[in-house]
Amino acid sequence: MANTSDVIIIGGGIIGAATGYYLAKAGLKVRLFERGYLCSGSTGRCIGGVRQQFTSESSIKLMMRSVELFSEMGRELGTEVHWHPGGYLFLAHDESKKRAFLSNIAVQQSAGLKDVRWVDAAEVRELFSLVETRGLLGGSYCPSDGQAYPFAVVGGYAGKIRELGGSVHAFTEVAGILQEGGRAKGIKTAAGQEHYSNIVINCAGPWARDVGRLGGIEVPVEPERHEALITEGVEYLGMPMLVDYRTDGGYFQQFRHNGQFIGCYTPQPNVPGTSSESTYGFLREMPRRMLKLVPALGEVKVIRQWAGSYEMTPDGNPIVDRTGLGGLYVVAGMCGHGFMLGPAVGEAAAEFIRTGSRGGLLADFALERAFSSREAMK
Amino acid sequence: MAKDLIICRCEDVTEAEVLQAIEQGAATADEVKRLTRAGMGHCQGRTCRRLINQMLARQLGQNVSDQRTVTQRPPLQPVSLKVLAESES
Repeated sequence: MANTSDVIIIGGGIIGAATGYYLAKAGLKVRLFERGYLCSGSTGRCIGGVRQQFTSESSIKLMMRSVELFSEMGRELGTEVHWHPGGYLFLAHDESKKRAFLSNIAVQQSAGLKDVRWVDAAEVRELFSLVETRGLLGGSYCPSDGQAYPFAVVGGYAGKIRELGGSVHAFTEVAGILQEGGRAKGIKTAAGQEHYSNIVINCAGPWARDVGRLGGIEVPVEPERHEALITEGVEYLGMPMLVDYRTDGGYFQQFRHNGQFIGCYTPQPNVPGTSSESTYGFLREMPRRMLKLVPALGEVKVIRQWAGSYEMTPDGNPIVDRTGLGGLYVVAGMCGHGFMLGPAVGEAAAEFIRTGSRGGLLADFALERAFSSREAMK
Repeated sequence: MAKDLIICRCEDVTEAEVLQAIEQGAATADEVKRLTRAGMGHCQGRTCRRLINQMLARQLGQNVSDQRTVTQRPPLQPVSLKVLAESES
């Protein structure tokens, strides 16, 4: 049947695109639906950082796999994705942060992340002379963390899905999940078209709860607004992503491929909802925070600000699982780490959906769980 | 027109690259932007936006007036981090 495929994916961000790619690569016919243009949800609004420094073993190992996949991605997808292992440096300005980082480093190293290490302020100065080290004790530094360009990554996966015989339907909103005998049978678009498949995957990111409800399934994902800004491109200065967890801190990096600085901070208190409106307060505050960490950037010009959604679960870990409706899966709740987790989560999710085997990597990501532990490096 | 005609001068995007993006399925200026970076540079599309909408309309057999507009975002022109950081609340 013309409107039949092996898999239907709802959501054209990194998670839908990566999951779709790995399913297509395994020989399944994939049909991907996106309400807007590809990357129009969270992925295209993220700042492109990729790090392995997490606090739970499953996230660390997934991210180590993602870094492997990012480093091979240009060849795999036949397109330049601007992967660059520029490193991540988490800054500690007080003893309790230092202790927390030291214990995280021990967990990360025992999970196999060998190049993460504590660097004291003098070494930070030596490595990255532009970073302000007054009041700094040091930081948790992992040189194999890095960056990639979100639009190129998602575009690359989508291109491969098409090449492998699948299809990508942009500007096509899914309005219903077709069901028969307690199983998902396909989807119905907002324009009333029906597409049939025995496997339907909810990769709707911040809208995963809404999409879950189309199938009568509760997905505990709450969107939160995060603002960001980007500067003009300037000479690449070779700094890592800087992460400052203080309440007046933030995180930013410079893309190597075009020299633009891009950054954001976590608002206090958080701002629930999927609004992508930006505020003047952020436009004033983010530069202050950036210049506090790297004073030399004062003359670099901001060219755009925007906002996007983090898709939070109660414990800060993703959800990758089947649901109470047969054939309906959920791969969502990446909690602000969707872009970096995407390749490894997509690969593992595709394996789970094809074989039913969850493997070790997805053990913590069941839909029904206590949600009691917390990912600390969020 | 020459293939290497620059459409987006901030990001050095050529006419050929925009046409290729449209061939790959881009049907809106937003999609062309994400595929080629046209409009993502210093002037944020002030120069190329109209050209791209005209190219889309021509290639897709549509009217320019039917094209979706791209989202405009602050600041209206580039402002240095220092000026923003020192601005009053």
